[in-house]
Amino acid sequence: MNQSLPLPMTGVAWQRIFPLLALLHPRRQAWPLLISLIVGLILGWAAMQFWGMKLWVGTAIVLVALLPALSVKFYHDWLHYGSKTIVILSILLTAQGAHTIEHIVQWVQYHILFWTARQSSGLLSPANAEWVHFVWNWSVLILVIVLMRGGLRNGWAYLLLGVALLHTFEHTYAFIRYQQVLGELRELGVTNVTAQGLPGILGRDGWLARSIWTRGTIICSVPGLTTATRLDVHFWWNVIEMALLTAAGHVYLLTWARRQPQENSVGG
Amino acid sequence: MKYKIWPFVFILVWIVAGCQTSSVHNQPLLEAVVPVNVTQTALARSTACAGHFVEHRLDFATGIRIREINTYESNGAGLAVNDLDGDGDLDLVFASIDNTAAILWNEGDLNFRSEALPTRFTRGVATVDVDGDGWLDLVFTHRGLAPPSFWRNQGPTAEVRFLQQPLHGVEHYAYAMGWADLTGDGALDLVTGSYNVELQQHGISAEAMAAKAGVVLYEQRGAGFVALPLEQQAEALAIGLIDLNRDWQPDIWVANDFVLQDQIWLRAEETWVRSQPFAETSHSTMSIDWGDIDNRGTMALFTTDMNPYNISTVNLAGWLPVINKLEQPRGPKDPQRMVNVLQVATSNQGWRNEAGRRGIEATGWSWAGKFGDLDNDGLLDLYVVNGMIAENLFAHLPNGELVEENQAFRNLGQGEFTPIPAWRLNATTSGRGMVMADLDDDGDLDIVVNNLRASAQLFENQLCGGAGVVVELRWPGQPNHFAIGAQIALDAGDVTYTRDVRATSGYLSGDAVRVHFGIPTGSALRQLRIRWPDGVISYVERPAPQTRLEVTR
Repeated sequence: MNQSLPLPMTGVAWQRIFPLLALLHPRRQAWPLLISLIVGLILGWAAMQFWGMKLWVGTAIVLVALLPALSVKFYHDWLHYGSKTIVILSILLTAQGAHTIEHIVQWVQYHILFWTARQSSGLLSPANAEWVHFVWNWSVLILVIVLMRGGLRNGWAYLLLGVALLHTFEHTYAFIRYQQVLGELRELGVTNVTAQGLPGILGRDGWLARSIWTRGTIICSVPGLTTATRLDVHFWWNVIEMALLTAAGHVYLLTWARRQPQENSVGG
Repeated sequence: MKYKIWPFVFILVWIVAGCQTSSVHNQPLLEAVVPVNVTQTALARSTACAGHFVEHRLDFATGIRIREINTYESNGAGLAVNDLDGDGDLDLVFASIDNTAAILWNEGDLNFRSEALPTRFTRGVATVDVDGDGWLDLVFTHRGLAPPSFWRNQGPTAEVRFLQQPLHGVEHYAYAMGWADLTGDGALDLVTGSYNVELQQHGISAEAMAAKAGVVLYEQRGAGFVALPLEQQAEALAIGLIDLNRDWQPDIWVANDFVLQDQIWLRAEETWVRSQPFAETSHSTMSIDWGDIDNRGTMALFTTDMNPYNISTVNLAGWLPVINKLEQPRGPKDPQRMVNVLQVATSNQGWRNEAGRRGIEATGWSWAGKFGDLDNDGLLDLYVVNGMIAENLFAHLPNGELVEENQAFRNLGQGEFTPIPAWRLNATTSGRGMVMADLDDDGDLDIVVNNLRASAQLFENQLCGGAGVVVELRWPGQPNHFAIGAQIALDAGDVTYTRDVRATSGYLSGDAVRVHFGIPTGSALRQLRIRWPDGVISYVERPAPQTRLEVTR
């Protein structure tokens, strides 16, 4: 182990109270990450400003610039904690956090800047939203299961698993319908029309809103459940998922940290 | 200690009082009562009881002469219904976007004789007694570049029944129109709204648009009209003249297409004040209708928009290439959503959209949507006609047509609706204007639709059960001879059914001055209460079911 990196229980008070912050702290990679971010931002800005590249190219440049420093940071997490589960938690928190930021940006574009729903596509607009979210949510679900098998099991984690399952189910439903609509469009000879962004199960014009079983029931009176736009529905899916992941990780790290000295002493 | 209870009692009384007065009009302290003469005519009891509507094709079609329909021919035309010759049967007047308009004279037993009316390229039509002579005249709006045209009903003795005459002072372009006594002087006033996007398509210059487009209130004064331009921007598809602030005075609601928000003016003293009472509205508002859907004595307001009722992937694929083009910029506090909206009165004098909760938010590419008690059970049902034909939008579909089924909804009580395909109103003929009226005098509402590129249809009501009461008001010697704007309440058992007399509603269409009440089997009718446009009340005791009442003041 790298002795220069303090273990959580031997750190300052805030690290003991909020071990997640200690986990997410870049530590030695703070400067490399900051420099990578600045370089990425400059390059991204220049790409957009001087070469007329689009916003998503600029965003991609920033992410690529951050990747080496982030990889080192995760490697250091491994050296620091010596736990695969914690490293996966660190990666998932970072990735899901970035994904949630993307949804927050979309929310700002739609509700604050009053862009249209189609324009409010976040920072990585050209990516196929249906494919991205289908793959992303299955990945998140699998990682949550891996985390739970690795010991991250508490009330928040079980709630997270439930939400991740439902969220993945919604995206799977949307993805299947997306493929079907694409097929129908091809039948009509239409190939230049996107079928992304169709309603899923929840929200306005979704399955729940249109189902004969829910018509006139209390379900249709729950704020947003059958009336929110897809953008809002997925903003909340991700915010809730992120909050549960944070809570589950926090509780797990507290427990893990409490166990460490005893295990060390036993091992020692 | 005993005094501490009073604040709670006060709050309780305040809450109860607030609830009790929440959804009714502000009642006058003293009601002036005026006697009326009543003529009752028994309605035939239909022997046909098929349990559904029966379709009849009418001898009229619009849009069939246009080789390739594009926007905004695609918007079709309206129709109106009323007894134009005083023979007791309701006649039909059809507007046509590509030919002359036509009157279909009702000769009884649902037989109609067609007569062309030499006015061309019409959009909307209303049958109103403009000059207060007791005969219903015709007013048309036109495609593009013409103000409304007026066809005066010269009565039975004239050689020509309808003669075109000028509407003095009415000069602005008009697509939609509404008629009501807006100033309270007894004469019917006119509100028109232009469809500026079509004017631009016709090459109208900005100067001409500034001079002759927009929303205009025409106050009828003497032999002419005085124009009061309200707004220059307009994409008016429908105009509703209805009391929106519960002061018994009709207000002005202009339903706009595209991103332009609906425009509303409330009557305040002697002036008109712009208002936005709705938190949510339709985006491309196609039609406006209103009705007392839960028999509470207040009108719920219904607007239609474009929203697929069928979310199957096959149907969505047909919509998608167009829907993606329709998305338009939004602004702060923009209340518009591309859905049907049902405004229901709230306890704090406001409105709340309940279309989604009540299952009527999506009815396809909707045009006219209207309430009517179709099954005579005392509850207003809903019918919406839909479909779109436009080669420049739907080139990916056969014949450039989005084929949809008209949507009928049965009111289950408390204004909860459910689709009712069993009524067989699910025609796929691209309906535009639509009216409901008892055309065969059997006490139930029939439906007539002016389709685009297909024959007009009459849906004969052959549902079973219940009875009807039809009321027609007469106010001789007054310019508002047919009492447009009157409210009629029928007490039956412990339920009160409320209707109003109107000239225009829905999409481009004119309503009958005959008001229909559906009566559930076994209901005892206690009293008919009429609130005339001047606020005076009349009562008719124990009207008989299955009758037509002609009430003369």
